[in-house]
Amino acid sequence: MLRRVVLQTFRQGLAQSFFKRNAASLSESAVTQHPIETSEEASEKSGSKQKNGDESGNTVVVAPPEFRFMYPEFLPDPTMERRNKLKEKLERMDMLQRRSIIEIPEFYTGSIMAVTVADSNSPNKFARFVGICIQRGGSGLQAWFILRNVVDRQGVEILYEMYCPLIQKIEVLRLERRLDESLLYLRDALPEYSTFPFEMEAERRLNNSVVPINPIKVKLRPRPWLERWERQNLQGVEDLNLPQRYYDRAKEVAKPWEKYDLMLQYRKTIPAEEQEKIYAEVHSQLQQQDLKRKIKRRRGPSSEQ
Amino acid sequence: MALQVQNFARIIPLSVPFCRSFHQCQPLNQIQLLTRLRVVDNSPIGKEAMLEGRPPKCIHVYNKTGVGTIGDKVLVAIKGQKKKAVIIGCKQKQKPLIPKFDSNNIVLIEDNGSPIGTRIHVPMPSILRKILKDRSVAKKIDFTKLLSIATKFV
Amino acid sequence: MNQADLSKLVSALRIAVKPKPRLFASPEGPAGRLRKLKATVTALVKYERIELNYPRAEEAQSYAERLISDAIRNGDCHKHTMEMADYWLDEKQLIHKLFKVLVPRYKEYNSSYTKLVLGPKTYPGYYAGTAILELKGNPFPALQPATQNYHYWLHNVLLGEAKREFRVAKAETNANLSEPVASKN
Repeated sequence: MLRRVVLQTFRQGLAQSFFKRNAASLSESAVTQHPIETSEEASEKSGSKQKNGDESGNTVVVAPPEFRFMYPEFLPDPTMERRNKLKEKLERMDMLQRRSIIEIPEFYTGSIMAVTVADSNSPNKFARFVGICIQRGGSGLQAWFILRNVVDRQGVEILYEMYCPLIQKIEVLRLERRLDESLLYLRDALPEYSTFPFEMEAERRLNNSVVPINPIKVKLRPRPWLERWERQNLQGVEDLNLPQRYYDRAKEVAKPWEKYDLMLQYRKTIPAEEQEKIYAEVHSQLQQQDLKRKIKRRRGPSSEQ
Repeated sequence: MALQVQNFARIIPLSVPFCRSFHQCQPLNQIQLLTRLRVVDNSPIGKEAMLEGRPPKCIHVYNKTGVGTIGDKVLVAIKGQKKKAVIIGCKQKQKPLIPKFDSNNIVLIEDNGSPIGTRIHVPMPSILRKILKDRSVAKKIDFTKLLSIATKFV
Repeated sequence: MNQADLSKLVSALRIAVKPKPRLFASPEGPAGRLRKLKATVTALVKYERIELNYPRAEEAQSYAERLISDAIRNGDCHKHTMEMADYWLDEKQLIHKLFKVLVPRYKEYNSSYTKLVLGPKTYPGYYAGTAILELKGNPFPALQPATQNYHYWLHNVLLGEAKREFRVAKAETNANLSEPVASKN
């Protein structure tokens, strides 16, 4: 029964909004009253949605539903042959440990980021790269993302592993999403769409609760391309202006039945119950780390004055 | 007879023309024999070749795999001449933290490793500092002059 | 991308799911495979118990489970679930059955919604064996006895009696042994 109630809240949260960040904004208000507490009131205020089991008294913790979009790398690789519960758990512990040392902020494909890496070859011993995140993938400690930028009219891409110990700092300069999940088509787009200055400063966000979606439509260069973009049902691309035969062929090779293949979808994802369990395991630590950083940031300027 | 025609059609669909069994695209983007490269320094010969629209072709890769990567020396055919060059950026998929470029960039060098041009217009991967230093041999070939004419590292 | 697909939330299935789908030979390719399975799932929802070959039954079972679990999770106002029900159930009155009969029936279940029983093998018969696939809670008489109570089988009764006698005898010998010791002291 309890389980069903919890499920209900999870679903309701989903229904409200995918990217509502009520937890983060509410937790800020909780900081001023009681810094870090485990009492019921505080936990309810901080939006972590803790519920006490009525008979046994043990707590059932449910992470906010937007966590799966904020931290998708905590979910294991859905390929069944490669699942290993123990390895996944150990990896999650290592990830939390790494996250306690450096801040890995929330980001999505389409966000503009800056990464500072320890680089023994450069004279000042670190290298900073700014670019737009065009793809994100991998699960567990192998999670990665690709940044793309055009420097001196030359397109450059660097793949970073999120939990690589060489990474010193990850900043999100502009937090936003695009219409597509993978922006690899920027390789074939005009260079102005992926040009970002290295001196760019982090933008202040006015509305903290919603991640804006940038509805920009990118213009591609004429063919030849690296991939057949007309077959990929891209949203963030202007009309491709191809001859009709390309679209005919795209229709021929399309797989419209895959949308109905329920087991294909099931094998590609992690079931909701398992996701809840994983995020319940990590979310209190993640939120505590977040709180600590916020307190530090607030105290930083005051101590200087 | 009709059955035979049907079987034949199943093996080779008559509506579709015969297609080649090898890839016509470049899924790997390797630098190998006859790959077109892009000269990114300001050497007169390289500039002219690029402006003409006849970029140099790779005719030999000086390593044991035959596939060129960052820091490898190649022999290129440029404007009817044979020149040596160093690869300073690849289109191929790279390892983490190593930049991948949108074109295969080379810098023309003389036999002793010093560059023909005096300036490199595009960013160079930072790891080249180490690779070029390692590959230089004292009093024989010295690639490190390439580093001094670079404008930017990523 | 080796990352879980986040676009849809699905319930965990209560049956063992194989890592790879079974491929059925079909001239239409994967679309034909789904069409075959669709016929099976429709028949299962309609008749609630069907007999068919084992590979098809096992494959169709997972699809039927997914359909019912989605219907329970999302209800009939969910667009994607309704599309799936529309595709998987050929006869449209069965969509009403799914949401109005099966969902209330399975809402409180803690186990799987379908049951797969190995069918009899006939010689000469179908090579891969037959199976009986049924929805749980169907109105038909059960295929297997509901409770298997072996306490009243003759040898169990006799063994129980023997055990009891042995225990009594042992207790008596223990009492006999302890008495003389107590008298000596």
